[in-house]
Amino acid sequence: MPAKGVDVPHGHDIRVSALRLALGDDPPVPVLDGVDFVARAGEATAIIGPSGCGKSTLLDVLAGLATADSGHADPGGPVALMPQGDALMPWLTLRENIAMGARLAGAPAAEAAGRADTAITALGLGGFGDHYPHALSGGMRQRAALARTMLAGRPTWLLDEPFGALDALTRAGMHDVLRDLRATERATILLVTHDVSEAAALCDRILVASPRPMRIVDDIRVRGGDRAAAVDAVMASLRAAGALA
Amino acid sequence: MSTTDDRVARPATGAAPSPATAEAAAPQAGAQGAARRRRLRPGQVALAVALPLIAIALWQVAVWVFAPREWILPSPVDVARAGWDARDRLWFHMQWTILIAVIGLALAIAIGSALAYLIARSRIARLAVYPWIIVSQVIPLVALAPLLVLWFPPFVAILVLAVLMSIFPVVVAGVDGLRGTDRDLVRAARGLGASDSWTWHHVRVPAALPRLFTGMRLAAVFVVSGAVVGELVASERGLGALTRLTAGQFETAITFAAVVLLGLIGLGLFGLIALAERIALPWTRRATRRGA
Repeated sequence: MPAKGVDVPHGHDIRVSALRLALGDDPPVPVLDGVDFVARAGEATAIIGPSGCGKSTLLDVLAGLATADSGHADPGGPVALMPQGDALMPWLTLRENIAMGARLAGAPAAEAAGRADTAITALGLGGFGDHYPHALSGGMRQRAALARTMLAGRPTWLLDEPFGALDALTRAGMHDVLRDLRATERATILLVTHDVSEAAALCDRILVASPRPMRIVDDIRVRGGDRAAAVDAVMASLRAAGALA
Repeated sequence: MSTTDDRVARPATGAAPSPATAEAAAPQAGAQGAARRRRLRPGQVALAVALPLIAIALWQVAVWVFAPREWILPSPVDVARAGWDARDRLWFHMQWTILIAVIGLALAIAIGSALAYLIARSRIARLAVYPWIIVSQVIPLVALAPLLVLWFPPFVAILVLAVLMSIFPVVVAGVDGLRGTDRDLVRAARGLGASDSWTWHHVRVPAALPRLFTGMRLAAVFVVSGAVVGELVASERGLGALTRLTAGQFETAITFAAVVLLGLIGLGLFGLIALAERIALPWTRRATRRGA
């Protein structure tokens, strides 16, 4: 369902080159080891790789929450990061959680609440605006988190395994929601996942990451909706990178 | 007729049916189940009432069987009778203790919360202030009381003791709450462009409130002990002072009555904080809607 009235600005290219980062001191553990890629404006690009390979750290660097040791990470403009899980504030109602995105974008309280109500209706959450997150299902919370990200009014969305904790049916529903949003919004999306079929279903391109320390080892375009071919190519790349047990 | 739990299973009144309704039904049914589980069964209520009654009955039987002198161990009936006879005297002293405990608790919460914020936010404060707060708890207050009486007027000295006794759980719980915020919540806010300051005030502080209230509940109990220690040393008024006077004059039944009242004051303050928590943090309850 498109979220009418939500104006997301045009996205920009995301450019990452020779990005290196080690975490810890004794001794430092290399996490990013020369990551290079360009995610095109307006496209949805997936980064797929094994758990713990450094995908979330990469998003933190792009969101300005972590600093790389060397290299270059340019998200092209302000980004909105949606962390793993829904990360809704438990003390805020669904409406207040969604409005938080707009408030952080500088909207006055009344306007933010109005935009939240628009998103609530558009995402099929009508009637639940005054409920606290713990009373809602995983899929509803996830939709709210996506709406909050959307209302931040930022041209680039960094989605960190946003649907990883959902059951298969709910996840499929969330895929529909994201596809609908993509049809109406112009944001650039960088989606981190370890679900190959999710990456192929939602994205135009799939970047395959090596096990930690992370590098991009393959760049696969999902051509003409041929998801099966993309999945085969990704699996072959993961196997070649030693990312499959 | 709808109960509160019935209401939570439906979207807000007047809303059009949405696809989310059915999806929400499962967690809400869970919430209803949890609410049912939280309701006390008659057997549980009976047990909660019966246990103290059994203890009192055993005490009464022990006095009948062993017949100790009344000034060593009065029976519960003697305590109740002496308490009723001395009700004006007890009330006179009880007012003072309540005043000290309430002011002390308010100060402990205000100062403790501010210190917790400072310690959690500033590394310098963590290094310079936190160790002293911990050390202050290692020193027995009874040893500190005579010094405080030398330095301050009695009322202030007792108040300081009450605050010192009760501030520690507020500080520790507050610091833990502020520094232990769910990383994903902080990441979500920062990832949407929130500043560090915004994140502290809109994420870390509200996230810390449940733990802070736990500290406040403990403080509500400790503050009575602090007040009593002060009254024992530095006052002619208050239930602490009364226990000293009556024990010295072998009015043991009144001493017991004063101790019972001290317990009731602690219980009352604990209940007040629990009530404040319930009102201030509706999201920690299983009610699903604001105002539900």
